[in-house]
Amino acid sequence: MSSINEFYSKEKKESYYETLVKELSSLNKELNAFSTINESINSGYPFSAKDNICVKGFESTASSRILAGYKPEFSATSINKLLSKDFGFLGKTVMDEFGFGSFGVNCETPARNPFNPEYVAGGSSSGAAVAASIMKYHLAIAESTGGSISTPAAFCGVVGFTPTYGTVSRYGLIDYANSLDKIGIISRHAEDIREAFSVIQGEDPQDSTSVGKVPEEKKKDKIIILKEAMEHAEEKVRSSFARLIGKLENMGYKVEEKSFEPISKAVSIYYIISMAEASTNLAKYTGFKYGYQGEDFTKGYNAFFTEARNKFGEEAKRRVILGTFVRGASVKSKYYGKALRARALIIDGMNKLLGDGYILTPTMPITTPKFTEVKELTPLQSYASDILTIPPNLCGFPHISFPYDYVGGMPLGAQLVSSHFNDNAVIGFAEQWEKQFEYKFRYNLGSL
Amino acid sequence: MKIGLEIHVSLPTKSKLFCSCSNSATEPNSAICEVCMGLPGSKPVLNKGALAIAKRVAEALNMKINERTSFVRKVYFYPDLPKSYQITQLDEPIGTNGHLDINGKQIHIRRIQLEEDPAKLVRGDDYTLIDFNRSGKPLVEIITEPDIASEDELRSFIAELRSILYYCDIEINEEMKTDLNISGIDSENGERVEVKNITGIAGLTGALRYEITRQSELARKGTLVERETRSYNEAEMRTVAMRKKESDEEYGLIYDADLTEYDLSKVKIEKPIIASRVAHEYASKYGFDPKILLELIMLSKESLLLIDASKGKYPAQTITAGIEYLKKYDKINISRDSFNSLLNLVEKKGMVNKETIEKIEKGEKVESYSGISDEELERTIERMINEKSILLNEYEKNKKVFNFIVGRVAKEKNLDPRYVSEKLNKVLSERFGLV
Amino acid sequence: MQEAEFDSLLSTCRIQLANGEREKIKKDIEEVIRYFDSMDSMDCGGFGEAYHPIQIPEKTRDDEVIKCSKSDSYLKGIKTYRFYVVGPKI
Repeated sequence: MSSINEFYSKEKKESYYETLVKELSSLNKELNAFSTINESINSGYPFSAKDNICVKGFESTASSRILAGYKPEFSATSINKLLSKDFGFLGKTVMDEFGFGSFGVNCETPARNPFNPEYVAGGSSSGAAVAASIMKYHLAIAESTGGSISTPAAFCGVVGFTPTYGTVSRYGLIDYANSLDKIGIISRHAEDIREAFSVIQGEDPQDSTSVGKVPEEKKKDKIIILKEAMEHAEEKVRSSFARLIGKLENMGYKVEEKSFEPISKAVSIYYIISMAEASTNLAKYTGFKYGYQGEDFTKGYNAFFTEARNKFGEEAKRRVILGTFVRGASVKSKYYGKALRARALIIDGMNKLLGDGYILTPTMPITTPKFTEVKELTPLQSYASDILTIPPNLCGFPHISFPYDYVGGMPLGAQLVSSHFNDNAVIGFAEQWEKQFEYKFRYNLGSL
Repeated sequence: MKIGLEIHVSLPTKSKLFCSCSNSATEPNSAICEVCMGLPGSKPVLNKGALAIAKRVAEALNMKINERTSFVRKVYFYPDLPKSYQITQLDEPIGTNGHLDINGKQIHIRRIQLEEDPAKLVRGDDYTLIDFNRSGKPLVEIITEPDIASEDELRSFIAELRSILYYCDIEINEEMKTDLNISGIDSENGERVEVKNITGIAGLTGALRYEITRQSELARKGTLVERETRSYNEAEMRTVAMRKKESDEEYGLIYDADLTEYDLSKVKIEKPIIASRVAHEYASKYGFDPKILLELIMLSKESLLLIDASKGKYPAQTITAGIEYLKKYDKINISRDSFNSLLNLVEKKGMVNKETIEKIEKGEKVESYSGISDEELERTIERMINEKSILLNEYEKNKKVFNFIVGRVAKEKNLDPRYVSEKLNKVLSERFGLV
Repeated sequence: MQEAEFDSLLSTCRIQLANGEREKIKKDIEEVIRYFDSMDSMDCGGFGEAYHPIQIPEKTRDDEVIKCSKSDSYLKGIKTYRFYVVGPKI
């Protein structure tokens, strides 16, 4: 039985939501998972929305100071669908500003890892993964551009599902990169993800890029390990992952190693496209109409806009500058144009690989880092750590990250990828996995 | 001299290009939503109607229609642009390589693209006032090659374009925004000058004339014409150097991934009417002056049908008068037969009003004083004036009396007031020595 | 990257960097661009530009006016003057 059905079938005290909000508010002081907690929640299976997903009347800032105070007049389609099915809105979750980060540290109050607050929660859907990890019954609606669901799910020991590009409407999502952004789900169990996904997926007349194709479940019995992916993983990760492969073989999967050399360029391709698109998406933040509002109109529009855009954090500034550079007319074909063609090449190659199996990699090539370790990384080192989550995101393939081991008290995640629209197969795989592997959690807020 | 134009024309859709807000609201900021305000989280969805109109215009301009069309983001920062990028077109515009034939010469049209209008700004001393009703309205931009060689050609080109657009239900006049490129006014110094923000047709010729004078003057003094961007000040009827606009480098145009490619070959349109071509056909078929017909077809879209209906039986002036009456009385959709009866009445200088047109439509006989001769009418007028000599004294003080006399005579004799006033003028000057 | 080129890039995207921040970010950016340059060796012959990861059937809407009634709510919290939105001087 899914947790959702279990939740609805159990008796709840009248004070259930009040207690949940109280306990959550208290733990949130330590872990910073939520930017807003909806204290008036009084019914439904509790879900949260990443802060870049609009919920009518609730501050939606994508954890950016430039959007402080923005309360949208409309809700994202995915949120409306959940609300219409009696799910209860619990609050907005903290993230890397606009989704720009792999560790959740690029914002004012970074979320902390529930297994050990000295460790990062992973990004960019940091708060979403923490929320799923600390509550017994919870759906965290998150969003991934290049790994923002898989990474924090892996670091926080929960299941993170990123659907095929276009299967969930992006209407109401504050854009990072329009050709890469996907709304997905982080939760404790794949069964709950299957149920929630069936609610939020579907074509939306308000999102031109949403598709109506019904997700499939074509089960595969072969697992492909990418040679290039394993070369990037650190030793601790590699040895744990080898044990996982053994277990999967015992479960009856055929495991095969294959090579796909162009994958080593995926990080460049991804960052060029995503930054180019991001720099146009962030152009709209100029300090009037919504969010942060400048005061002095007399200084002229250029000075006024520039002053307002100083509210961007360092990483946002870096990506806007880089994105503006790679689409400049004189270098556009070398960077942006080339990256689009290289994306076509990677999709073609990956599709061929996926023809007869799933691709499985560790979610991250490293174990969960501490805040102090992340501080030492250069932006490029940080980008390079996305090497395993980027390929499926760049190609829009459905993928799921699930916990498979605990090393030094911290969870490790693996990521399973399948072909376009075979979403329910990756969910099904994780369901099968969790039947024989027990996930560990440190908190169980809201248990019944 | 080489002149090229970039003409922005508003499309007559009901809703905006990417959202369902009204395309014709008047009270400031009364037709706005998250999409045309560019609010975070909003997404554009393309208006099918705008796509169809743009395709029809492209076809009317003899363009190669792209099978697939797509949109890009053109980034620049200005308070009129809510997303700080304009959704426009680059590699896959609606059409390319078109032309219009102007007096036997082809003016080539490089491309036509569909794009959104920015908001309307009202400049204040310390701030700007913004009306987002205009934000997101559909425009087509028509870009010509620099093939226009004179003011005359410019006028002819605009007249032809205007008639073509008029028959695509697009009226250009006061609102049309044009950028004008001019080079080689003096063949020795051919740097290109671009004049931006020209509004309307009068502004366009005004800007051209000013630039010709300015650049000729510079050439005469031996000063080189610099490559620059100027803007046209309509009130002062002159062009002035303007702020540096973003370059292509800065626009950094990229594909708008909130939208997809659109299959233009599937967009159904009515075959466009090239009004001038039809007018020329009728002119030679019925022996009219093509110039008069060209004016006539701009009076109303139904003119073409009506001209054909009259089969050359009536002179052009009579047809013009007939169509003017129909427009005045909102009867432009009259049947072909009724139109011919109306022309007969006009020809006989009968009085035409709403009543008589309705009678014609019902097939009833219309009383008209037919057969009156010019002399007879003149005598009637003279008699009336003589009978009431007070009128004459009044006329000297008050010209309105003129209309009074016309009305009286026209009514009494069931005559076309225009005919009566013509004769009244004649009588006043010839018999009474008044002007 | 030349200082002037970096300056024009910053002004293009209306970003101003404080002195300390400027040096660091410029260095980061140069490093990332060098990394991007490694893509030069890729041969993408035969592949067109993939604007989206999947084929998306086109979606248009009928030319109908639907939601003008809410207009007022979009002006909430915005500085306005006689129904106009107030913005910076041009």
